[in-house]
Amino acid sequence: MKTSAILGAVLYAGAATFGMAAHAADPVTITIWCQDDERQPGLNLAKEFGEKNPDIKVVYRQIHFDDVTSEAMRAYSTGQAPDIIAIDNPEHALFASHGVFLDLTDRIAKSDVIHKEDYFPGPLASVTWDGKIYGVPKATNTIALYYNADMFKAKGLDPDKPPQTWDEMVDAARKLNDPANNVYGIAFSAKASEEGTFQFLPWAQMTGGGFDKINTDGAVRALTIWKTLLDEKLASPDTLTRGQWDSTGTFNSGNAAMVISGPWELNRMSQEAKFDWRVTLMPVPEAGAPRSSAMGDFNWAIFKSSKNPDAAFKALEYFVSQDPRVFPDWGQLAARANIEIPTTGDAKKDAAVKVFMEQLKYAQPRGPHPDWMKISKAIQDAIQSALTGQATPKDALDQAAATIQGILG
Amino acid sequence: MRRLYSSLVDGRGFDLCLIGIPLAFLIVLSGVPLIYNVVMSFQAVDMFSLGSFIRPWVGHENYRQLIAQPEFWPIMGHTATFLVASIAGQFLLGFALALFFWMNFPGASWLRGLFLVSWVMPGLVVGAVWNWLLSGDFGVFNFVLHQLHIISDNVFWRSDPAFSLWSVIIANIWLGASFNMILLSVGLSSIPDDLYEAAELDGAGALTRFWTITLPMMRSTIGALISLGLIFTLQQFDLFAAITAGGPNNSSNVAQYWAWDLSFKQYDFAKGAAISVIMIVVVMLASVYYVRSTRHEVRG
Repeated sequence: MKTSAILGAVLYAGAATFGMAAHAADPVTITIWCQDDERQPGLNLAKEFGEKNPDIKVVYRQIHFDDVTSEAMRAYSTGQAPDIIAIDNPEHALFASHGVFLDLTDRIAKSDVIHKEDYFPGPLASVTWDGKIYGVPKATNTIALYYNADMFKAKGLDPDKPPQTWDEMVDAARKLNDPANNVYGIAFSAKASEEGTFQFLPWAQMTGGGFDKINTDGAVRALTIWKTLLDEKLASPDTLTRGQWDSTGTFNSGNAAMVISGPWELNRMSQEAKFDWRVTLMPVPEAGAPRSSAMGDFNWAIFKSSKNPDAAFKALEYFVSQDPRVFPDWGQLAARANIEIPTTGDAKKDAAVKVFMEQLKYAQPRGPHPDWMKISKAIQDAIQSALTGQATPKDALDQAAATIQGILG
Repeated sequence: MRRLYSSLVDGRGFDLCLIGIPLAFLIVLSGVPLIYNVVMSFQAVDMFSLGSFIRPWVGHENYRQLIAQPEFWPIMGHTATFLVASIAGQFLLGFALALFFWMNFPGASWLRGLFLVSWVMPGLVVGAVWNWLLSGDFGVFNFVLHQLHIISDNVFWRSDPAFSLWSVIIANIWLGASFNMILLSVGLSSIPDDLYEAAELDGAGALTRFWTITLPMMRSTIGALISLGLIFTLQQFDLFAAITAGGPNNSSNVAQYWAWDLSFKQYDFAKGAAISVIMIVVVMLASVYYVRSTRHEVRG
């Protein structure tokens, strides 16, 4: 017993001195969890950062989109969280509010690379909790209205004057709707998932509503318009169960004349869509009404449990310094207003990117709120019960507002 | 010491070891998670207390809130419909196919093997394929029904609340029928031929032979199969995720999908656990029946 205690002490001391000695020679290790593969920025930037900094060893783990949050939770609660994670922006507040992410406010204030004022307001709000900054927007996206200019011409609509208001949009959908040729007026997603909330929330925000007052008259009008689109079969009934990617697929194949979706469609659309497609800003409730749009994509954050926060922050600084490459190399939009977007040589795509950059100025985050997923669920339930005719838009949104009030306390 | 050794090599100790190892395995891999799950359903859990076992005890609060949710009873109803329709459909189709291949026409065993393809495919792939087949505007299913003049307007299988649950049931029946067929085929081939010969000599017709010989001789197989079907059907998650995601408006939501949605989408782990506990009770009752029906098999 006594010998083993002594032996233990000696071993421990030995290990400690050895560890100290090794520390100076060995590089520090930072672990990065992100969903990006080799065609996306996260993996490439992480690799480059490791190569440029021989004193920092970068371990990159690719995590599937659906698993990011639950993996992060599990890892954190068992003390095995990574140093850096890329997290979907509506989930950011959940971690920030529980003190799981490192407060970067002071580091960013001192940084030569990361400047708070460079960012669009939406993405910046999504990394902010209680006045402090808990991350850096990795990239951003939003939604706008794509339309098929050839179909506009065929139906006597002016492709240079796309719908600007909700009523104009519904009118255009009615004119473009052509069931005999399997063409729906418009496509969008009202799926019972985050995608449904993502698509609906901007409509409510344009009328002065929001997740905390979802039952405004304007929001009721918006949901009534959605219901009209479905009831008159101006949009496919499958809108209820189809995500944005599949909905846009029907636009690309010429089975929908308009679609509400985001810039992540651009590459596929330039390959698949054999017609003159264009993008315009999200229609507003009436001329002159305030604009809004959804805001998507991921944020970088550092876990508070990180043993090497300095190295981790250095990595974030490197990622941010490479923001100008995010669009030309990987087709994503940096969350910053001061990034020049180079032309791609594809006229349709370049014009579309300009519209999306304009739309981004009005993009608003979902939340931020730690219980965002429950709030979102209440909104999805309202959309679905109204569109399937189980409740009137007003009753459905009143119900959602009551549920959300209970969550907000 | 020597007695202990000899008992371990050849004696009671050896027997205990043989039982102990799988028992320990079961306790670690099934028992502990099960108890953990049951305990969790009586606690207040959030993502940051996931790693600890000691959490605030809330008694029946999770269950009370769960049952108070407006979607609780509809979802339980859908689960029951899904169970009954899937098991009945899989069993009847499987039995029909088994009887068909039992006739032993040329190529029967070969074709029977091909049917197993559906059982081998991963649920998500099956879901994706059925997603296309059942798609409203351009689905194959609608096209065929249209050509047969059964429908005049497209049916939106996945998006019409009246059909969404049935679209998953159809896919699930297709998925499970072949498994039923194989087990029933095995059961059929174990019935001695001389029983049928004797019955035929006594003047029993095909239907009588089926009712008085085939069905009674298959009792234990059928019992086991239906209990297994109950478990497989309650486990069925992939098809829901791939085809309807429980929508629209929860019209195709079932307990197992809801449990996942609560736990991993809304991060309400305690309520998710509470649903699992309700399901465990159902599966346990089925297991009791399964064990009893297979015990009968050994005796017979």
